[in-house]
Amino acid sequence: MNVTPFVLLELQPVFIWLYQLLEKIGLSGSWLTVASYTGLSLFLFGLLSVVALFLVWWERKISGHIQQRYGPMRNGWHGWYQTIMDGMKLLLKEDIKVVTRDKPVFFWAPIIAFVAAFVAYVVIPFGKGLIVADLNIGILYILAVTTFTVISLFMAGWGSHNKYALLGGMRSAAQVVSYEVPMVVSILTVIVFTGSLSMVDIVNSQSGIFFNWFIFRLPFGPIAFLTYITAATAEANRTPFDIPEAEQELVAGYNVEYSGMKFAMFFLAEFINMFTVAAIATTLFLGGWHGAILPSWLWFLIKTLSIVLLLMLFRWTYPRLRVDQLMEFAWKFLVPLTFANLILASWMKYARWYW
Amino acid sequence: MTSPQVGIVFWIIAFVMLISAFMVVSLKNIFHSALFLILCLFSVAGIYVLLQAEFLAAAQVLIYVGAVAVLMLFAIMLTNNLASKKIRQANRNVLVGFFVSVIFCFITLVLLVKTYVSVWGKLKPQAVLPAQNVLVFGKYLMTKFMLPFEVVSVLLLAALIGAIVLARKERS
Amino acid sequence: MNFQLPEIHISLMLPELFLFIWALLIITFDVVTKRKNEHTVGYLALLGLLIDGAILSVTGYGSGFGNMFFNDPMALFFKVIFLGSAFMAIASSFGLMHQKIVNHRGEFYALILFSTVGMMFLSSSDELLSLYIGLELTTIPLFVLAAFFKDDRLSVEAGMKYFVIGAFSSALMLYGISFLYGLSGTTDLVQMKINLAITHLTFKDIGVILSLAVLLILGGIGFKLALPPFHQWTPDVYEGAPTPVAAFLSVGSKAAGLVAFAKIFINGLYAFYGAEMAPNDWGRLVGVGAILAMIIGNVVAIRQTNIKRMLGYSSIAQVGYIMIGMVSMNEFGLTSVGFYMFTYMFANMGAFAVVAFFEDKSGSCQISSYRGLSKTSPFLATSLTMFLLSLAGIPPLAGFVAKYAVFAAAINMATSGVAYHWIFWLVGIGLLTSVFALFYYVNPVKQMFFSKEDSPYKISLSAPAFTVVLIGLIGIVLFGLYPDPILQFASQISASFGFLPH
Repeated sequence: MNVTPFVLLELQPVFIWLYQLLEKIGLSGSWLTVASYTGLSLFLFGLLSVVALFLVWWERKISGHIQQRYGPMRNGWHGWYQTIMDGMKLLLKEDIKVVTRDKPVFFWAPIIAFVAAFVAYVVIPFGKGLIVADLNIGILYILAVTTFTVISLFMAGWGSHNKYALLGGMRSAAQVVSYEVPMVVSILTVIVFTGSLSMVDIVNSQSGIFFNWFIFRLPFGPIAFLTYITAATAEANRTPFDIPEAEQELVAGYNVEYSGMKFAMFFLAEFINMFTVAAIATTLFLGGWHGAILPSWLWFLIKTLSIVLLLMLFRWTYPRLRVDQLMEFAWKFLVPLTFANLILASWMKYARWYW
Repeated sequence: MTSPQVGIVFWIIAFVMLISAFMVVSLKNIFHSALFLILCLFSVAGIYVLLQAEFLAAAQVLIYVGAVAVLMLFAIMLTNNLASKKIRQANRNVLVGFFVSVIFCFITLVLLVKTYVSVWGKLKPQAVLPAQNVLVFGKYLMTKFMLPFEVVSVLLLAALIGAIVLARKERS
Repeated sequence: MNFQLPEIHISLMLPELFLFIWALLIITFDVVTKRKNEHTVGYLALLGLLIDGAILSVTGYGSGFGNMFFNDPMALFFKVIFLGSAFMAIASSFGLMHQKIVNHRGEFYALILFSTVGMMFLSSSDELLSLYIGLELTTIPLFVLAAFFKDDRLSVEAGMKYFVIGAFSSALMLYGISFLYGLSGTTDLVQMKINLAITHLTFKDIGVILSLAVLLILGGIGFKLALPPFHQWTPDVYEGAPTPVAAFLSVGSKAAGLVAFAKIFINGLYAFYGAEMAPNDWGRLVGVGAILAMIIGNVVAIRQTNIKRMLGYSSIAQVGYIMIGMVSMNEFGLTSVGFYMFTYMFANMGAFAVVAFFEDKSGSCQISSYRGLSKTSPFLATSLTMFLLSLAGIPPLAGFVAKYAVFAAAINMATSGVAYHWIFWLVGIGLLTSVFALFYYVNPVKQMFFSKEDSPYKISLSAPAFTVVLIGLIGIVLFGLYPDPILQFASQISASFGFLPH
């Protein structure tokens, strides 16, 4: 343990203190469980909303600077609360509904997208001891619940009764189903070494010096990381794999008919999804919250935001792939590569080159 | 772990599951049917969670919602004229089918309840610690059930080849 | 919990492994040679089956993978039938390759081989899980094979029907299996026999739920066997499917169903056969199914004008006879089942092969179009006559010996106690319907031989086609006159079920 002032910034004691406070005011049994989990959910919800708002601003600034302009500058220092103002505008805007829409589907799509984006955070360790529930199926749980994102895109595409939206939904399905395979196999490469699906176990197995991080397990670690990032970019529907919402072809893809708050929900969900895949990459490949001197949650944020930065740089530097190129890339390149990598890793584990 | 809360959750999930299953077979819009199928399968995963079979629950969602249902939705959207039509799900034999299913359901229920009353509490399932659930599952797959596990891959390969043969457009 | 990897004994499953790898090689070969070859893949598949037969002949008895893979005499006996029927089906499909199947020859053969692998695996499994997977591996390629002519409405309909029925029956069976697993706590059939008996002694009431399980599994396997009342799909599928595939369905798939039936009911649920535990007596249930099969199959077949449909109904009737042997739960019963299936393979595959060659030439399956065939193609006409007479059970052909064995076994069982007197009914109806059967089996013969005009079709046989017919003829004549070696071989089957009364 490094004895530095930063250790005081560890968040775990704060949560323990809050829990004891709840006990003190007379809560017990299942009520205590309900109260503490509700509190945690609200906290996560708030945190992630703030993160998403921040990411939107960040993306706009980065895109601006890449394109030789400033991006938002008016509201606050370099426009830092621009997104909040935008959000308020979206809240107050009229919720335009297409007459021919499929009512229930149109209504539920943004809600499912929003919920699906949040539930993954149950098992993500934000810092030392900062995890809502250490499920023993950890990473599998994330993979399972994020599939609802696809369903929501489908529903949005269908419910809008719009050919562009429908095309967007279909493209997203084809893309997500294809890229799920290399993503899962890349994750499996990690699981082979940790021997556990639990996120906490995965983080713990990368403790110590940073050469224990999975990405530094040569030669398969970096390959798995790169394939994961590639597949995750596609899963999050971001350029160069953003054909579901390719502006030049599909106007805005699956969310073309959405406006006001519903649009905002899709928009936020998208950014939270990006943060999710970055957080998973951090946990699986970059040692999670492990790091020297700084408090654990800060390390987690730094690593995750670096990956988010990487994803944003991808978006503003690479051109979009065509549909057929996209599919060929997934099935003819990524899938064989990840499987070869998995076999290599398993063999190395079996031959005890690594432990 | 049979606390009253678990019971309440079970009844809620079971109710949702039954309703959505009924919707799947009765709605006229095939897309809505598919969506209710997803809800139904998701509720099944919920039951698995209550039974502390978390791995099974995750696999259920991953496979049925993530893969099967998505492909189903995909197929519905790709099929010409299927999307916007109102389709009757029943044919002339609906009444016969209804009676057959009711009778079958009745027999099964009676038998199950009868067995349950007399055997309840005497036959105990083998308990596996929830935390070890995935571990035990994996180890069984790699030891005792290794052969069926491998043969399933042969089965999937055969099914894959067959599907490609059937689906592929012939060049003349 | 014991997590040791059981001893594998890979040499026991060499036939399955070899056939699987060979199927992959066939597909690869077909793709690498740009699908230009017309018959090479077919010959390759035949070669693979021959080599596999050779490997099978040196494979011994024993168990591997714990008890997951178990080579007993029954497994080996039926594996011979599976390989034989696959061989004859492939050899009689060369005409199709010339005309109808242009693009996916490799896949056609590979799927037949995959299905054969499934059957072989199924016959070696002594465990419900692997048994179910084997059954699926058997049927899923057959769905595709039945619908192989994509432009032919009948073929697509056949594939669709077979798929829906197959999926439904699999679900039924799986549901039944889940009850069995719940009641016994194991999927191992031998262990299940013990556990079920113990549980049944302790809790009498599980008997009723056991009957439900028995009904469900019987339904599931009944669909695969085409045992009434689960037989409705058979004529349609046989009519629409490519003829060699229909032949393979009627022999290979049926034999696989029989093995699954014997495994589950004789191995796992033996204790519930007989009168003592009346609600779970599956013997009488199967007996009713067999009676229905013989009546429905034989009577409806008379009215058919399409020879494939006729053979479909005939196969339903044949299942009835086979099930008589199956419910005669003694040594002779299982021997007769094995022998019946063995001779049925030659006769039925031969008959379907002739139908296939005729169809390749004439494009027709109507019985009336066989008119005068004896004048233009006497060999083919004579062979078809022989096959049909063997199916009808006319001495001295093998079909007669098989029927005799089945009835003898049934009478032997029926006389062994008052509780088994109901088997007399089966024998009586079996004998009666055998007479009916002559009507429709002789109908094509009448068309071929007793017609004034000549047939417009003159059918010349290619080498593999000639081989199939020859194998079939030798089989029914040789084993009709000299059945001892096969009976000897088949009599070891009951050694797989050591507990049977002798």
